[in-house]
Amino acid sequence: MSERLYDISEVANIQPEGEREIELQVGPAHPGSGHMRLKVWVDGDIITKVDADIGFVHRTSEWLSERRQYIKAIPIVERIMLPDTVHANLAYVLALEKLLKIEPPPRANYLRTLAAELNRITSHLYGIGIFGIFLGSSTVYMWAFGDREPFIDLMEMLTGARITNSYIIPGGVRWDMPKGFRERAETTLQYMEKRLEDYNDIWAKNPVVEARTVNVGVVDKNRAIKLGVVGPNLRASGVDYDTRKASPYAAYKDIDFDVPKMDHGDAYDRLLIRIEEIRQSIRIIRQVLKDMPDGKIIADSIYSQLNPVMKKVYETDGWHRVMFPAFFNQIRPPPSESVARVEAGRGEIFFYLKSNGDKYPYRFRWVTPSFRNLPFLTDVAVGYRLADLPAIYGSVDYFPPEADR
Amino acid sequence: MMGLLPLIIWLIQDLLYLIVFPGLIVALILVIVLIYLERKIAAKVQMRFGPLYVSRKIGGALQSVADLLRFSFQEFIAPNGSDSLAFIMAPGLMFAFALMPLIFIPVGPYYSYLFPSALTILFSVALITVRPIYEIIVGWASDNKFSFIGSLREAFLVISYEIPMFLSVISMLIIYRTLNYMPAVAFQEAHLPGIILNPIAAIVFLIVAIRSTGRFPFDITEADSELVMGLFTEYTALFFGIGMATPYVELYVFSLIFSLLFLGGWSPLPYHATGLIAGLFLPGIVVIIKSFIVMTVLVFLRAVYPRYRVDQAIRAGWERIIYLSIIAVIISILEAMVIW
Repeated sequence: MSERLYDISEVANIQPEGEREIELQVGPAHPGSGHMRLKVWVDGDIITKVDADIGFVHRTSEWLSERRQYIKAIPIVERIMLPDTVHANLAYVLALEKLLKIEPPPRANYLRTLAAELNRITSHLYGIGIFGIFLGSSTVYMWAFGDREPFIDLMEMLTGARITNSYIIPGGVRWDMPKGFRERAETTLQYMEKRLEDYNDIWAKNPVVEARTVNVGVVDKNRAIKLGVVGPNLRASGVDYDTRKASPYAAYKDIDFDVPKMDHGDAYDRLLIRIEEIRQSIRIIRQVLKDMPDGKIIADSIYSQLNPVMKKVYETDGWHRVMFPAFFNQIRPPPSESVARVEAGRGEIFFYLKSNGDKYPYRFRWVTPSFRNLPFLTDVAVGYRLADLPAIYGSVDYFPPEADR
Repeated sequence: MMGLLPLIIWLIQDLLYLIVFPGLIVALILVIVLIYLERKIAAKVQMRFGPLYVSRKIGGALQSVADLLRFSFQEFIAPNGSDSLAFIMAPGLMFAFALMPLIFIPVGPYYSYLFPSALTILFSVALITVRPIYEIIVGWASDNKFSFIGSLREAFLVISYEIPMFLSVISMLIIYRTLNYMPAVAFQEAHLPGIILNPIAAIVFLIVAIRSTGRFPFDITEADSELVMGLFTEYTALFFGIGMATPYVELYVFSLIFSLLFLGGWSPLPYHATGLIAGLFLPGIVVIIKSFIVMTVLVFLRAVYPRYRVDQAIRAGWERIIYLSIIAVIISILEAMVIW
């Protein structure tokens, strides 16, 4: 019998030679992660491997939606993408309208564009704020979340709800633009334009921010395409792709706007592009408010099915309002399938619906932008320092509930 | 031969200097006020109220006291894997060594009667360098990878920024030709404040103060988005409170040294004064007001800057700050040769 040389607990701690990495669990209860876990292996200060453990906030949105009437999926998809509700709503309704073969009237299209762009601004401000706190700038965090507020108030005025507005319904929208909205929107836009200069001063032109983000998390054009990245992150890498231009939906066909594009694809470019996109959104909103056509806010095929009381409510006060017709619960699209794509704040939402003529969708499938941006976290952070992880994570504007669905 | 009674009175005065003014109690009050002010100023910049609900009538001024009470009554938990002796002792020692330089910092001419020492600058600056050792022990004893990385970062940064600190102090010593605060203050009273004599040394000293006390943009050892809470990730209760308060106490020490070396000490008041009131309290209040302004400016930086990465801070230390401090020394030598 030989004597045991080591205490068992000590043996467990000895690492084989050449093994010099530390495994860090960043999340799910870590201030630098969202509702997810990143397993990070570091050699000294350099990240050698990142494994994203997602699914902590998986909410079975597809399963739930396949067991409900078509119309009831709208609140479900909205709650998955809370900073970006209008886009989720819009993408789903576009897919559903293709199944039902309804075409919304022009005014409804303009209202949808208006709501979507207001929402894009709040979504980008959300991303900027989270990026700010990741780099330690509590000021940008507070400013961005504070400046979301006027836009959320606008959304409330337009849709009746601050975040989960369920504004867009098959065939149109629920409410018309209220009186006084134009003036208030113009005030808010002017305020935001002024604020963007402040953001430039304290955020984009801050020497510390530049030191932290320039040349960090670089993804060149080819790699971005290869990784399947979408949205502002893709455009920051120099790829000129925007669903609003590539396959226009709502009123984007008639609107003149630029798709901002950067060249370098580092965290700093991803920071700048969000500020640029807010500028473009402001431009779009101004055009929408100027060019908005008169007319119905709901497709004729649906309007004709409203009962007299509903029609009366629709016309009251010269301000249109669609009372939610009960037959929406009984929608039975003909057996077919449809696909819709929408450029949300974080990138492209892809929707696939298949109907077999039943009350419920036969297949309900959607891919959210954050899920497609996930390779950023696992692939791009490798080779940078541990301290760069928040800079990369923050710059991607990754929203775990959206990715988990 | 000193009588017994004067000796006892002298000892009691010494103790009061350390414990009451400008020592522990004043330091703690200032820390509480400073934390409140920091949160309030940052809130003003960030379009929010800051502390408000505790003692609403006076604008939430008692929030820091409430936090202190909360820390005091929280349960203390030591993780299983921790080195318990070091885990418990290190924060207290860290706090003690952060306070200890106050012994060698005179806030008035009466000080030379209390602690007759000719090497106060040397001792106070030397004592500042002790605290990081306990920070490293804290990180090591916690048995937590985030704490450990935090303490490694602290070690790297201490090594990078200690030489500039000493060089900036030395450059002032060259001008003042003394190792004692009292003649240094006398010199500034007679000529010009140190910040005009050698502004580069003042800048270097301020940067080092920001770094050592973990203010933004050098909030690197407890970067919350990277290291949860850095060194104090595993701590709870009063120990965590101590860990939070220690940088502020050190900030107090740094600001006192700054106001003595660069801002002329109790300058508007006469250099020579006797008695407890005229010799200690009045000049002490002037010095503390000066250092409080310095502290407020330094904590305000959090509203403007995010944090640097650790390697950038280290590189800045070795590639920029150290040259700045050498330039400061050269300026001082030239001044000492040419002018005086």
